[in-house]
Amino acid sequence: MTTARGRTAPRTRIVVDGNSVHAVDGISLAAVLVGERRWSLRRNPVGDDPRGPFCGMGVCFECEVTVDGRPGVRACITKIYDGMRVETAVEEEAPHDR
Amino acid sequence: MTAERSAALHGEVVERDVVIVGGGPAGLSAAARLASAGLAVTILDEQPELGGQYYRRPAPAVAEQWGDHRPDGGRLIARVRAAGAECRTGHLVWGVDDDGRTLLASDAAGHPVRLRARHLVLATGAFERVFPFPGWQLPGVTTPGFAQHLAAGDHTTIGERVVLAGSGPFLLPVACSLIELGVTVVGIAEAGRPYRPSLRALGALGHPARLRELAGYVARLARARVPIWQETVVLRADGRDRVSSVTLAAAARPARPVRTVEVDALCVGYGFRPQTDLARMLGCAVRVDVASGDAVPVTDAAGRASRADVYVVGEAAGIGGVHAAKARGLAAAHDILTREVRETVPVAEVRRVASARRRLARFTALTDSLYPGPAALLATLAPALPADTMVCRCEAVRAEEIRATAAGSADGDLNATKAWSRAGMGPCQGRECGFAVAGLVRSVAPRPGAGDGESRVEVFPSRLPVRPIPLATLLELAGPDSQEGDRS
Ligand SMILES: Cc1cc2nc3c(=O)[nH]c(=O)nc-3n(C[C@H](O)[C@H](O)[C@H](O)COP(=O)(O)OP(=O)(O)OC[C@H]3O[C@@H](n4cnc5c(N)ncnc54)[C@H](O)[C@@H]3O)c2cc1C
Ligand code: FES
Repeated sequence: MTTARGRTAPRTRIVVDGNSVHAVDGISLAAVLVGERRWSLRRNPVGDDPRGPFCGMGVCFECEVTVDGRPGVRACITKIYDGMRVETAVEEEAPHDR
Repeated sequence: MTAERSAALHGEVVERDVVIVGGGPAGLSAAARLASAGLAVTILDEQPELGGQYYRRPAPAVAEQWGDHRPDGGRLIARVRAAGAECRTGHLVWGVDDDGRTLLASDAAGHPVRLRARHLVLATGAFERVFPFPGWQLPGVTTPGFAQHLAAGDHTTIGERVVLAGSGPFLLPVACSLIELGVTVVGIAEAGRPYRPSLRALGALGHPARLRELAGYVARLARARVPIWQETVVLRADGRDRVSSVTLAAAARPARPVRTVEVDALCVGYGFRPQTDLARMLGCAVRVDVASGDAVPVTDAAGRASRADVYVVGEAAGIGGVHAAKARGLAAAHDILTREVRETVPVAEVRRVASARRRLARFTALTDSLYPGPAALLATLAPALPADTMVCRCEAVRAEEIRATAAGSADGDLNATKAWSRAGMGPCQGRECGFAVAGLVRSVAPRPGAGDGESRVEVFPSRLPVRPIPLATLLELAGPDSQEGDRS
């Protein structure tokens, strides 16, 4: 986690594509994902290229993910809570993958 | 829909003296004043918490650990609640019913809510003005506002090596926020040449506090040795699945590279544009602001629009910063209170707000004059945009398709260009590409006899719903009969 000084703030656990992620309680889901450098969240329906959060204020719809089974949730205006289950539409590649 | 059909709409109905859309500085200021005078006020915001952009609240855990960067926002929200205003967060206002006055909203769970009021106050704020370049759709390329929200609200860095670009004073505080978190701000590319040696002197000469603030940021960046590359714009961003470098060019020759910098995030913005869809949907008259090319609602000094029951306040009525937004919210509240005759607003209070509004308008004009006007920038940047640049991110429409459509079948008409090329038809409704599409259309098809062309920049019309909403919300609104099938 990049917020090095953040070790002592109360943390919560969410599940992103099946993996546990620990982050400061109540911050935005987009912050958790970007903090983990997990940038690609969906694919453009026309060109299929990966996309990630852009505007950070709910107007571009590039950060849409599925939260607790509900699709089309904008990560940038959603706060995390304990046990939140998040699915992105882009598989995380292992660094040596290609 | 006929009046009968809309009478048959389902879902919760809210009737109030005043309904305020938008819980930022402007909406909150109006809500606090109106509710404390005893009016029945509802304030709605689609975000999970009140505060808007400027007063976006940090999570309690963040505030506890690193402090609250804007405690005055927390106090203002507390005043609104204490005064008895009904606060509905997680509520998106997505349209207007056929009667032309009932707002259609959906709550956090997606259930429909309809709202009516004697006075509607639209305080929907602004969004960032962006301009495309090859690679801007790569993950890791964002607006400066996103970097700012991550840093100030969530104590999270957008990257380790970042370039900020675009134009306007906002790039400076964002750079300072990033530096505070230990991010390497490789440089700031500013399209204009606002930062001259005289700027610090200006600050010292007793100009308004915010100009001094600006000079303060410049000084802080100088101490951190962050270069400000003036008259410089982004030529392209490169990377495989994520941005890894940015190439910059001189603003005067936007197609010729001058330097390439390695980054892991790139934040580009050219200031802000008013969010006016609801005002336009309600039939409020708008005018084109010549310097920015944006549509701005026509209002009087109190923010009253061409419709007597609608006020447009804050940055939705024109960009001016947080203090102007608050003053405009208060001016509308005073006007409403006077019309409701429930209370005579003290003359001194009205004067104080009016003079603040005038002072802030002068200050905005002063800062604006330091930076290139968006319409002028567009006239330089649009013709230079490479043919294969993806201009509409949602529908993946490239510059060449937009130019060809505008020059061909659309015959220079912005809306026809949108309809034929699909640029601006996606979920963002053209908020991200609209500025550029208008510039591209004008660059290939100048309006005959329209003079300099710059003053003629148009905007996409507002479309219902203002944001995509789940089909389930519409079905619930239409009632149980419709759920059996005719719509699905
Ligand atoms: C991403 C971003 C970051 C910014 N950060 C700063 C900063 O750090 N410093 C600074 O000086 N200025 C900043 N600004 C500029 C900012 O716009 C103003 O300073 C100030 O917030 C304007 O106040 P406002 O009340 O007019 O609008 P806002 O503060 O923008 O509030 C408008 C509110 O309306 C809500 N809204 C809009 N449409 C709807 C709808 N249809 N239904 C329901 N709710 C709706 C929005 O969610 C938002 O909360 C930022 C702007 C943006 C876009
Ligand atoms: S980042 Fe644009 S909607 Fe979330």
